[in-house]
Amino acid sequence: MKNTYTTVKRMSGAMRIIHWVNVISVIAAVITGLYIAHPYYQSFIADPAVDKYVMAWNRWIHLMGAILLDITSVVVAYLYFFSRFEKAYKKLIPSLDNIREFGQVFINLLTLNRKKEFSSEHGDSFNAVYFAIMHLMLIFMLLSGLQMYVQGLESGISSIGAWWPLMLHLATDWTLVVFGGNMEVRIAHHMTMWWIVAWVMFHVYYQVWRTIFWKEGDIAIVIGGTKFVKKGN
Amino acid sequence: MAQRRDVIMSLFTTDRAQVQTNKGDAYYQNLFERCRARLDELKAMAPLNAIDFREILEDEGYDRREFLKWASAATAMLMLPPIFTPLVAEAAELMNRVPVIWLELQDCAGNSEALLRSDGPKIDEILLDIISLEFHETLMAPAGHQAEAQLHEAMESFKGKYLLFVEGSIPVGAGKEWCTIGASGETFEAHLLRVAADAAAVVAVGSCATFGGVPAAAPNPTGAVGVMEVIKGKPIINIPACPANPANMVGVILHFVMTGQVPELDSLLRPKFAFGYRIHDNCERRAHFDAGEYVEEWGDEGAQNNFCLYKMGCKGPMTFNNCSIVRYNEAVNWPIGVGRGCIGCSEPDFWDKYAYERPMADAHIKAPTGGVEKSVDEFGLGLLSATAVGIGIHAAASAVAGKKSDEGEA
Repeated sequence: MKNTYTTVKRMSGAMRIIHWVNVISVIAAVITGLYIAHPYYQSFIADPAVDKYVMAWNRWIHLMGAILLDITSVVVAYLYFFSRFEKAYKKLIPSLDNIREFGQVFINLLTLNRKKEFSSEHGDSFNAVYFAIMHLMLIFMLLSGLQMYVQGLESGISSIGAWWPLMLHLATDWTLVVFGGNMEVRIAHHMTMWWIVAWVMFHVYYQVWRTIFWKEGDIAIVIGGTKFVKKGN
Repeated sequence: MAQRRDVIMSLFTTDRAQVQTNKGDAYYQNLFERCRARLDELKAMAPLNAIDFREILEDEGYDRREFLKWASAATAMLMLPPIFTPLVAEAAELMNRVPVIWLELQDCAGNSEALLRSDGPKIDEILLDIISLEFHETLMAPAGHQAEAQLHEAMESFKGKYLLFVEGSIPVGAGKEWCTIGASGETFEAHLLRVAADAAAVVAVGSCATFGGVPAAAPNPTGAVGVMEVIKGKPIINIPACPANPANMVGVILHFVMTGQVPELDSLLRPKFAFGYRIHDNCERRAHFDAGEYVEEWGDEGAQNNFCLYKMGCKGPMTFNNCSIVRYNEAVNWPIGVGRGCIGCSEPDFWDKYAYERPMADAHIKAPTGGVEKSVDEFGLGLLSATAVGIGIHAAASAVAGKKSDEGEA
């Protein structure tokens, strides 16, 4: 008997846009962030300082990437609870079903797809937890990054008004207390970058692995929004 | 009284780092009147020493005009409008009404040295000469029981009125008994607590007294801490830096003489007029930072052209201090001006966290076990390698095991 495949929708258009905005922003932020932490290439000495703006452009790109991530973070936080497609928080609740599913997906990964006792039709708890870790790391980057940023707004004024630095102080000054000072916030921000890169490595590997071993076209989800599941055994 | 001082201090202390350079006419008018009243009160008091400030200035070769130039600069440094200039000048002349006791604890005496070893006394330093220094462990002639007696006398006669300057950290850990003072073998901690009890306010001078400084660097054998960890319920002003800038010490005393209050402080109890801005914000090499022009090694082409010292480990972007404006030794020069980076000496834990002369990405961090030190980036790359190895093992095993998804395929 031949398998019949049906199409299931797994990511809405908004989710896919958010995904790719995040990809581009994270790549840009890592490339420029590494430069800001330790400038790893040199500007041409022959140009006078006014003609080149290398660190400033790096910081500009870093901040623009950060602003895009800030916006997607707010949208993602909203979608966790109010998405009309799939409310992601439902897969994060440590209910018996979710814990069992998390375990089954993990066993599937460890047994190299020898055991697969869950439905891969819908988003699973394992990925929901894994994505939530990324979202938490991005929120931490947002807050620790804005703390570093507001250190340059000492006068309490900004082109968009005094509310902005004030809000940043209220939202991010706790990072100084938790980590112990300006430098520790920077080290934590930098270290979290490495965790994010490691996260991305496994994420890409795992989605490719699923595509190869599950044979359900999982990699297409993030482009077309759909994958296939076998029907009619 | 102590309670009221704490309330006043809390009014002037906000946790926010924001620096307000203009608080509005009404605020300054009110402050002006309060300062006027305070100075009149001081003027009526008998001076504590016979030093005449004007005479000293004349002896040192400063005329009135130069003094007034200094007064307007000091007013600006305190972030006060120009109407306060005459009050600052007057406060300078009344400085000998304020008794000061200076304690020397666990440090190198660098802050006292910074005052004493200047090439010629500047107005700031002359002012520190005329304050009524009742007791200074390093400078005073008496020793032993005589010195003890002098301290006791000063504490008794100026009870609740004297400013206590503290230089050096306080060992409170296992090694606290290594540091004692006086014939009775009093530990530094007990000594500080005793003298601070009757002080009007405590001024911690230098990095050691503020945040523990070099004695508190890892592994901190004596358990050294700053003054604010030991003394509670007293107004404390921190003037960090290694050494503290005499201009900032004078600024704090002037503010106290003029207003009777502690200046507005940041969350680390540093006066905002001095520590409100980062070195980076007013650095003369800032243009080279933005341009991406960095000194790559000592003495290279970049170094000869005053390029930015960020890659040599300059910590100006994360250090709050006014050295880039006020500089040292009457604005002769400052660390970045002489071509070496800032080591962040006015920030907590500066020796371990700032002074390693490498960018932050190459900073050594301790393993969670406290053992081998790796740099932040080495740790990050190790993390990526571990991830890659894990993925590699899983991928290889998957490839060997083959796909098992042939159920149902005809």
